[in-house]
Amino acid sequence: MKRTMSKRSIRGAWLAALLLGSMQACTNLDELPKSDISPGTFFNNEAEALAGLSGVYAQLRGAFPGYCCAYYALNEISTDEMVVPTRGQDWYDNGRWLEIHEQGWTPGSPSTLQDINSAWVNSFTGVANANLALSALQSRIIMDSVKQAGVIAELRALRAFYYYQLMDLFGGVPVVTTTDVAQRDRVSRDSVFKFIEAELLAARADLPRTRDAANNGRFTKGAVDAILASMYVNAGVFTKDAGQFSAVAYNSCTGITVAGGLSACQAAKDRADSTILSGVYQLADTFVKNFRADNNLSPENIFVVKFAPRDGLGFPFLQTTLHYNQFSTTPWNGFATLAQTYQAFDTLNDRRKSIFLVGPQFNVETGDTVCIRPGCAKGAPRLVFTPTIADVRAATEGEGVRIYKWPYDPNHVAQNNGNDFAYFRLAEMYLIKAEAELNGATGAPAPLALLRTVRARSFTTDTLSSVTLPVILRERLFELTFEGKRRQDLIRFGQYTAAWQFKTAGQPYLTLMPIPQSQIDANPKLVQNTGY
Amino acid sequence: MRFVRHAVPVFALLSLTAFPLTAQNTGTVRGQVVDSTTRQALAGVIIQVEGTQLQTASGNDGSYTLASVPAGSVLVRATRIGYAPQRQSVTVTTGGTAEAQFALTPQASLLEAVVVTGYGTQRREAITGSVSTINPAQANVGVTTNVTQMLSGRAAGVDITLNNGEPGAGSQILIRGGSSISNSNDPLYVIDGVPINNVATEPQGMSGVVGTPALPRNPLNLLNPSDIASITVLKDASATAIYGSRAANGVILVETKKGTGGGGPSIEYDSYAAASSPARRLDVLDGDEYRAYVNPQFVTWRSDSTACAGRPACATGYADSSGGFGGIKPYALGTANTDWERAVTRTAVTHNHNLSFSGGTEDTRYRASLNYMKDDGVALSSTLQRIQGRLAGTHRALDNRLRLGVNVTTSRVNNTYLTFDNTGGFEGGVFQNVAIFDPTQPITFTDATGTHFYEGGGSSVRNPVALAKQLIDIGQTTRTLGNATAELDIAGGLTGQVTVGLDHASGGRQTYYPKESPIGDALGGGVARLVDLNNDARTLQTLLTYRRESGDRSFDVVGGYEYNKFKSDTVTASGSGFFTDAFTFDKLSAATTRNSSSGAEQSVLVSFFSRANFGYKNKYFLTAALRYDGSSKFAAGHQWSSFPGISASWHMSDEGFMQSSPFSDLRVRAGWGVQGNPGIPAYSSLALLGAGGGGTYTWGDAPQTGVAGIQNPNPDLKWERTAQFDLGVDFGLMSNRLTGSVEYYIKNTSDLLLSVKVPQPAAVEERLENVGKLRNRGVELSLDALAISRPSLTWRAGITFAASRNKVTNLGSRGTITSGGVSGQGQSGQVSQLIAPGLPLGTFYGPVFLGVDANGKQLFACSTPNTPASNCSNGSTINGSGPGAGDYQVIGNANPDFTLGFHNQITFGKLDLSFLIRASVGQDVFNNTALVYSTKGNALQGKNFLRPALTDGIGLHEPAIFSSLWIENGSFVRLQNITLEYTLNLPMLRSVQSARVYVSADNLLLLTGYSGLDPEVYASSGLASRGIDYLSYPRPRTVTGGLRLTF
Repeated sequence: MKRTMSKRSIRGAWLAALLLGSMQACTNLDELPKSDISPGTFFNNEAEALAGLSGVYAQLRGAFPGYCCAYYALNEISTDEMVVPTRGQDWYDNGRWLEIHEQGWTPGSPSTLQDINSAWVNSFTGVANANLALSALQSRIIMDSVKQAGVIAELRALRAFYYYQLMDLFGGVPVVTTTDVAQRDRVSRDSVFKFIEAELLAARADLPRTRDAANNGRFTKGAVDAILASMYVNAGVFTKDAGQFSAVAYNSCTGITVAGGLSACQAAKDRADSTILSGVYQLADTFVKNFRADNNLSPENIFVVKFAPRDGLGFPFLQTTLHYNQFSTTPWNGFATLAQTYQAFDTLNDRRKSIFLVGPQFNVETGDTVCIRPGCAKGAPRLVFTPTIADVRAATEGEGVRIYKWPYDPNHVAQNNGNDFAYFRLAEMYLIKAEAELNGATGAPAPLALLRTVRARSFTTDTLSSVTLPVILRERLFELTFEGKRRQDLIRFGQYTAAWQFKTAGQPYLTLMPIPQSQIDANPKLVQNTGY
Repeated sequence: MRFVRHAVPVFALLSLTAFPLTAQNTGTVRGQVVDSTTRQALAGVIIQVEGTQLQTASGNDGSYTLASVPAGSVLVRATRIGYAPQRQSVTVTTGGTAEAQFALTPQASLLEAVVVTGYGTQRREAITGSVSTINPAQANVGVTTNVTQMLSGRAAGVDITLNNGEPGAGSQILIRGGSSISNSNDPLYVIDGVPINNVATEPQGMSGVVGTPALPRNPLNLLNPSDIASITVLKDASATAIYGSRAANGVILVETKKGTGGGGPSIEYDSYAAASSPARRLDVLDGDEYRAYVNPQFVTWRSDSTACAGRPACATGYADSSGGFGGIKPYALGTANTDWERAVTRTAVTHNHNLSFSGGTEDTRYRASLNYMKDDGVALSSTLQRIQGRLAGTHRALDNRLRLGVNVTTSRVNNTYLTFDNTGGFEGGVFQNVAIFDPTQPITFTDATGTHFYEGGGSSVRNPVALAKQLIDIGQTTRTLGNATAELDIAGGLTGQVTVGLDHASGGRQTYYPKESPIGDALGGGVARLVDLNNDARTLQTLLTYRRESGDRSFDVVGGYEYNKFKSDTVTASGSGFFTDAFTFDKLSAATTRNSSSGAEQSVLVSFFSRANFGYKNKYFLTAALRYDGSSKFAAGHQWSSFPGISASWHMSDEGFMQSSPFSDLRVRAGWGVQGNPGIPAYSSLALLGAGGGGTYTWGDAPQTGVAGIQNPNPDLKWERTAQFDLGVDFGLMSNRLTGSVEYYIKNTSDLLLSVKVPQPAAVEERLENVGKLRNRGVELSLDALAISRPSLTWRAGITFAASRNKVTNLGSRGTITSGGVSGQGQSGQVSQLIAPGLPLGTFYGPVFLGVDANGKQLFACSTPNTPASNCSNGSTINGSGPGAGDYQVIGNANPDFTLGFHNQITFGKLDLSFLIRASVGQDVFNNTALVYSTKGNALQGKNFLRPALTDGIGLHEPAIFSSLWIENGSFVRLQNITLEYTLNLPMLRSVQSARVYVSADNLLLLTGYSGLDPEVYASSGLASRGIDYLSYPRPRTVTGGLRLTF
């Protein structure tokens, strides 16, 4: 008995010790992510630096329909170039699309909370990712120092371009170059302008003039020049906060001094010339070469968003506009252009009119006749696109001329086409130069010769005989339709708030987008744009 | 911090050692138990010596013997389901035999007297918290695939919504209203003492092709309901505090059946077969109606000059699309009359077999069981098949001082999935196409090359029968749940216990969309995808328990430590572009494009806990619990949090002054406690960069895998905490022939974990922050009555009633949050719910529908400040313009005013009739299905629509606009189950101890004004969305016949 007792006691003591021992153990709660990366342990070598750089470039895609429809869509649908009619039960989407076209947004309205918010967040996400990589690369050397300086220059130029988008849509925004998430004040639009300008100029020094084919799409000196040229020609708007520029008259670049003490108009002309005379770029022999799936070979494109015919990497614009039966991944039958814009091309014998689809339709891939329901053979009615949209809130499937500037990619994977999208191509540099010269910049040749150079490939006989500012605006419409420029142009020319199809005349404050109420909630230091 | 972490167990141990350890001599207690009314012997009565582990069960003649009872005055308790417990004091002498006879009185509720309460058990009357128990035998009726279904309607305050009618469907459980917005509101499940990680065990279906994949099936399908011995729901904070960290949504404790000692081995076999069919159907036009609508429309359209205004084609004919009526031109109509819903549904057969045997000696007991179940869904290609084996063994040694237990459950669940979507946009799955596919077309047609499914082609409309039959989507989970326990009485009243638990689930999902199907074809010629998911959870628990009863005082204290580690990893491989459909997903190397990916995550939860129960004179009870938890998911410095709970009860009816009161039993309880909720993903507080995906960019022609921020850091991320106060009264009247409880609770959740927009620039738009507060209040009532108690007829009836009110009280900087994203074509960006301070979760928010104008344009309430004056006149929108954002208002509430469960059990001779009726009153349901598929304009695209659209006056070209029109009253009364059981006499089969046959019907009757398939719905549509009905899998009506045999 006694023996048993002692055995029990020993067993009991052993168990108690086990219990106590295990209580003290295992309280380590440190986390180490397995399938994701902690930024603090990253950016150690060239490959990791390039991966970070790639992530900042990738954000450029975010401006397009199919990714999120932000910067690009706002710049087009809010103008006379594009409208998204409600087609039966399709494309109502909370009234967002028509709200954008009618410029009916308010700080808390559906298009603001959805699309304008997307634009705000997308551009800032690019800034944040650039800051993450920059904070690592600017603090220590991890690779060949020349290469590292080049990567840093690309990151700074990209960040500047995201700020360019924000400045364009919203005016002054918080300028941030660190990685901490914090509430910050807006700075003036002019300060943002100067920040972008300084960053681009600093980056330019470390960027190459050209890139080899394997690095096509990465920043060059020419890309920096093109962005600067655009900023300078828009300086009458971009350096001014709401109310300081005119919503109804041309906002000239004259009288504004920029880096180097130049007048903005002269600087615009100089930067345009820098690309025109670089020897790196030349106008493509045909207009359409700039937009085809193989447009990475176009010598005209200066700064593009790269797309590839791969899942999640492709240019999905065709989906937004083509009819359901016109392409092999069923498109969405939405975006169309206005009759007035389509008909503006009618006065000219302009080959650029081929960017529209109108009349009886074919499958863009197969060339087969297309009917609005499958089964033409059974008597299904032919799909016909008409310029007229009788009721934009209750449109039919065939109403509205469609946009086919970027032909489908024969190698497309579902909706992913490989066409690159050019934010800047050489033709625009000619137009900027011409506009700068009309505004007093000294340069040669004269505006008429510049425009005729661009138009040569699109006309058999060019009858253009004189160039005025309205001619520049019209030429930019013809040359750059659907290239995301129209809102900028209409604002610069004082026509953005005018009335056009499906839209009444609006107030001047609409030339800046509202800051989404949800963003003001998140950062109460943001002061709303005047008028909202 | 460090001090507190160690203080808890030390406190527990100190309190243990304060009591002297003594050894005693022993004697025997014996006696007999009878029913006080019938004087019949009662078998299976648990006889227990209070304050010890000694217990036994009475035999068939009601007699019992308990040996090794410590000498001295002891309290002997007799308890049996359906009878009031009794206790007697007897004096045991060393080596002597004392007698204790019991005559038990039947009472209203069929509940166990001893309740599992987490890290131990308690006598029901000593419980101070809010605890509901469910009698599994009563709840396991009809086709029951998992424990969740058994809770439905049987416990007050436990609100269960099955996601849909799929076999083994998952469900949304809200215990007392749900305490979180973005965290999981699932309760914590504890099986045989081991908390289980109740996450999906099978990878999700393919997304991006046919909307959002259907919600996962219930992970608890692994456990056979027939193996369940008891279910306890801990509802209030004082009861759940012992599970502090994960208990904010309540705790469901499941104990499985163990072997019974003494007597020979017993063998049980039960089996049922069931037939089910869809209970209700979508009301779409049939072929004749569709033809009858389309033909005259065409004529009307041509002659309608308004519709033709500005449309040149109207004048010249109709052979182009600009006339707008091309789609309704008769050319497209077929001659068939296909009921697509009937074509994709079926009368499905389910069968289930359970075999178990148990036995053993007093010291060593075992139970083994085997289950096979095959549950065919009422829609094609949806099946659940379960093969499950379970072994439970207990052994006691060293004079019952050492108790060992092992439970192992292994199950294999094979799921066949139908491709339907939970939420989604343009291109949907089977049920979307049931709603829209042209009813005048045939299912198949035959041409020279054979018989093919008829496809309309284009426009994302797919033959639903072809979808159901061609798309292969299967999944399977092998899950092993095991635990081993060793329990040792170290010295008088002091018991130590170590439990090791293992939960391993391997889930696989295989999908193949063949080239033969237009979906597979459009995705590059056949798409195959295989996903493996492994979930691994390990638990170590050590417990010290001390129990002591002396005189009027009883005391027990438990202290423990628990370590939980969760690991999950997944591997995905996919390919597209096959030259043949013959391989399906079995030969990825034959694909022209291949992709693969993998991922893993891990989290750790560590807890120290202690609980003490004090009792005085069996009238006054006090429970205090403290848990100190650390979760790896929170930010460093905020990982640990303590969760206290305290509660007390007073057994008033035992007081002298209550002796003349009408109450045979009366108890009041009050409790308070704090619980946590760690239901956020691992690594939530860290800054994270993701590789690939959105960070990848093309330089030249080569994609460059990039990294981009995918999560903002939050170094302040901490526990969401819920404080709950509970007040309850338990009562019995007429010798407990009527018993019940009434409870009131108030739950305040603070530091709500919410994804909040952060100031830009930031890597992503939002991050998880602790902002906001939420409140739930409610009243619960349960009543059980023994309405009739005669030797030949007994009728027990019970009611559960719950009313709860939920309110968001604060959202911090977030202001308001929109949720409840609307599904369907043309609804992108449309939301239906608003989360805002002052409103309950599940508040529908939208424009008020006023009617239609002469042109069939929808009219909504508006005011000119909110809508441009040109679009608003006299409070109504004009010209077909939609309402302004400022015109949105509260248009409904998805929460019921109250819910009711009414369960009955009537025994008449050898017949048993039981039924359960559930009612839910006052909730609104958003009929998203009707919103999207009631547009007559569907006909313009050759699509069908819902019949009510024929008479709603809305114009042909009107888009579907979310409004109050689509918010319906979802009140319902459902006859959830009715079962008739008969006990057979089988004198020719002597070995059969009992034989019972039954017929049962589930969902036999549904009374509701709701126009959709079923008002009990769930579509996962954003944060805390509730009450949204979108194309749900039809809920079946099931008739079951079964047999239960005991040898």
